Amino acid sequence: MGCSSSLPDRSSGRLTGLNTGENSEGPDAKNLRVKLVLLGDSGVGKSCIVLRFVRGQFDPTSKVTVGASFLSQTIALQDSTTVKFEIWDTAGQERYAALAPLYYRGAGVAVIVYDITSPDSFAKAQYWVKELQKHGSPGIVMALVGNKADLQEKREVQVQDGIDYAEKNGMFFIETSAKTADNINQLFEEIAKRLPRPSSS
Amino acid sequence: MSSDSSSSSPLSDGFADPNSDPKLVDEQFDLLTLNEPAELERNRRGNGNEIADETLNRERNNIVAEDDVQLRVEDQEIFGEEEPPSPRSSGYAGGRGSSSATSPSRIGEASEIDDNEIQELRNDGSLGRISDYHASSWVPGKRHVDEDDASISWRKRKKHFFILSNSGKPIYSRYGDEHKLAGFSATLQAIISFVENSGDRVKLVKAGKHQVVFLVKGPIYLVCISCTEEPFESLKGQLELIYGQLILILTKSINRCFEKNPKFDMTPLLGGTDVVFSSLIHLFSWNPATFLHAYTCLPLAYATRQAASAILQDVADSGVLFAILMCKHKVISLVGAQKDSLHPDDMLLLSNFVLSSESFRTSESFSPICLPRYNPMAFLYAYVHFLDVDTYLMLLTTSSDAFYHLKECRIRIEVVLLKSNVLSEVKRSMMDGGMHVEDLPADPLPQSGSSPHLGKQTLTSDSPERPREPFIGIGGPAGLWHFIYRSIFLDQYVSSEFSPPLNSPRQQKRLFRAYQRLYASMHAKGIGPHKTQFRRDANYVLLCWVTQDFEFYAAFDPLADKALAIKTCNRVCQWVKDVENEIFLQGASPFSW
Repeated sequence: MGCSSSLPDRSSGRLTGLNTGENSEGPDAKNLRVKLVLLGDSGVGKSCIVLRFVRGQFDPTSKVTVGASFLSQTIALQDSTTVKFEIWDTAGQERYAALAPLYYRGAGVAVIVYDITSPDSFAKAQYWVKELQKHGSPGIVMALVGNKADLQEKREVQVQDGIDYAEKNGMFFIETSAKTADNINQLFEEIAKRLPRPSSS
Repeated sequence: MSSDSSSSSPLSDGFADPNSDPKLVDEQFDLLTLNEPAELERNRRGNGNEIADETLNRERNNIVAEDDVQLRVEDQEIFGEEEPPSPRSSGYAGGRGSSSATSPSRIGEASEIDDNEIQELRNDGSLGRISDYHASSWVPGKRHVDEDDASISWRKRKKHFFILSNSGKPIYSRYGDEHKLAGFSATLQAIISFVENSGDRVKLVKAGKHQVVFLVKGPIYLVCISCTEEPFESLKGQLELIYGQLILILTKSINRCFEKNPKFDMTPLLGGTDVVFSSLIHLFSWNPATFLHAYTCLPLAYATRQAASAILQDVADSGVLFAILMCKHKVISLVGAQKDSLHPDDMLLLSNFVLSSESFRTSESFSPICLPRYNPMAFLYAYVHFLDVDTYLMLLTTSSDAFYHLKECRIRIEVVLLKSNVLSEVKRSMMDGGMHVEDLPADPLPQSGSSPHLGKQTLTSDSPERPREPFIGIGGPAGLWHFIYRSIFLDQYVSSEFSPPLNSPRQQKRLFRAYQRLYASMHAKGIGPHKTQFRRDANYVLLCWVTQDFEFYAAFDPLADKALAIKTCNRVCQWVKDVENEIFLQGASPFSW
């Protein structure tokens, strides 16, 4: 099913009154809400991906995330369901690594990001995958994202390496560019499609 | 500070200093007389916060006894005595006594560490504090990363700050790349451990016009190398604040990493925080909170601030440890659950952290932070949200699960603030600014009945009430250029806006440094505390007055008449008193630490 029609909700960052109750999962099958956490090394572009997705913006000046930022965004799928992402954009700095469980606890989705120009960040991504396999919520949907795909000439992590690693670990894989907006919406739509639906509505 | 033996009666604010030198006292007589009828009148409703004539009489007896070298009240008003406008080579050079508490010693070269310079480190844990308005043109971030200790430009920098580990590993440097400074850090570490090996601690080394100030905090060493001629105590306070900022980011449990591995490299843990430190260091040049140990409020109508406080109190009652609403560096309101109180240093460090980290402005955040004065060992969790470009709400909690609760609190608060127009009033106050010396009411008497309004006065720039003083220079009456008033009970201060002739950042910084020296001299250990100080040099007349209730610092035109200056100070203090409901946050629990 093509999901190209998603229209980012511009009132993002605020409560979009889809469902009630901040902490509860959406009760009906048509309106899902899910906690999504972004993890990855510092400087790979996690915040840029989120801001591109939520606000359609890209700010090339680097702003180091402190702790974690919270944003939300709702998308509509073609089957007329909506999915509200409550996104935790975590800081990539080492000092926050020990606090990551605070943010990924209870998350239904983890997006693990690396920078295709940095093998180190790819190694770090693998660390996060293992960590989540050990400590993440059971049944968590994981996506592996190679960001900065616009920097082809500086590429150091081959597409195939990403695909292979993702496949081995049962993850969805995509390369994105927050700068050009390439594949950003596709990433979230693909995640939305993979979410487990409530068994009966 | 001080109100030791002095307070003899509720009205007497200053008072006989037993140490005063009778001879100097005599010299003061002609300088401090100003019992004019108006003074007497005002005195009646002065709440003890005026230099009443009685007070002044007493003051004559204690005015003296400043630091021998620097801060004597001068009978002879000598220009340039203290501060030639150009770099003063004499300031802290060898041979001259210093105002630091270290000792009257001299040291020519860095290599000759004189016994006198090496003393026990005093663990008074004094930190600086929070504050106020600022200088917008400054761009945050590290400068000159390409430099190292071999660069001439690096060596010429006036003020360096370093953090290193006790194994000599660089952790932070204000200028240059830490990794290239490994050799330099090792040298600093060698100096510190050389002295430690003899069972002592190095506090200060003077080398020509440079001071090298050391602060040892367990496995973490902090060093400042400066030729800015700031007093030792000020520089030490700045190192304490830098350490506090480090603790705010990592907590003191960082020490355990060094216990496990003495060669531990801390730089990765501080990744991305250069801007936090560089911004703090910038505050040292303009924000009086960094040495006053007090915070400042955004001027607001009493009812407006009350509305903000009420809703903050409401959420604090629901399990929020501290709720703080600020606009840039100024407090709009703050509320603490129970009797917990927030130290002004912690507020300075927290607001610096939030304001210097751009990511807080993009969206709501939930981050671990540590308040070093509250509990240096543990993280609290801070919900931070910018309500507009300058105004931000911080909700602190001990619970790592509280995000959604705090988010709801914020929504409630935001609704109330919008409904009661607090946010628009805040914006207006930012535009209008605070107290302007030009608006000093001429004669406080007529206003004593009505409740004076800060806004009214600040808005009318050319008030007809402008006093007709014998001396009118640029600025306020009697050549008043600027003042800072610190309420001791409230732990808050108010500083006047910069007015002509203090136009340029350079002049403002120079005045800031002058206040800093004045503060240090008034609070110098061993020879203080002092009650009043009047000094004149080529740049200013500076007047300082310390009572049990407040500290007052004022700068006048260098040609200002002394008696008039003192009289003007009385009026300013009365003015502050008259508008205190607007410039201070009342009813916050006093910070008792």
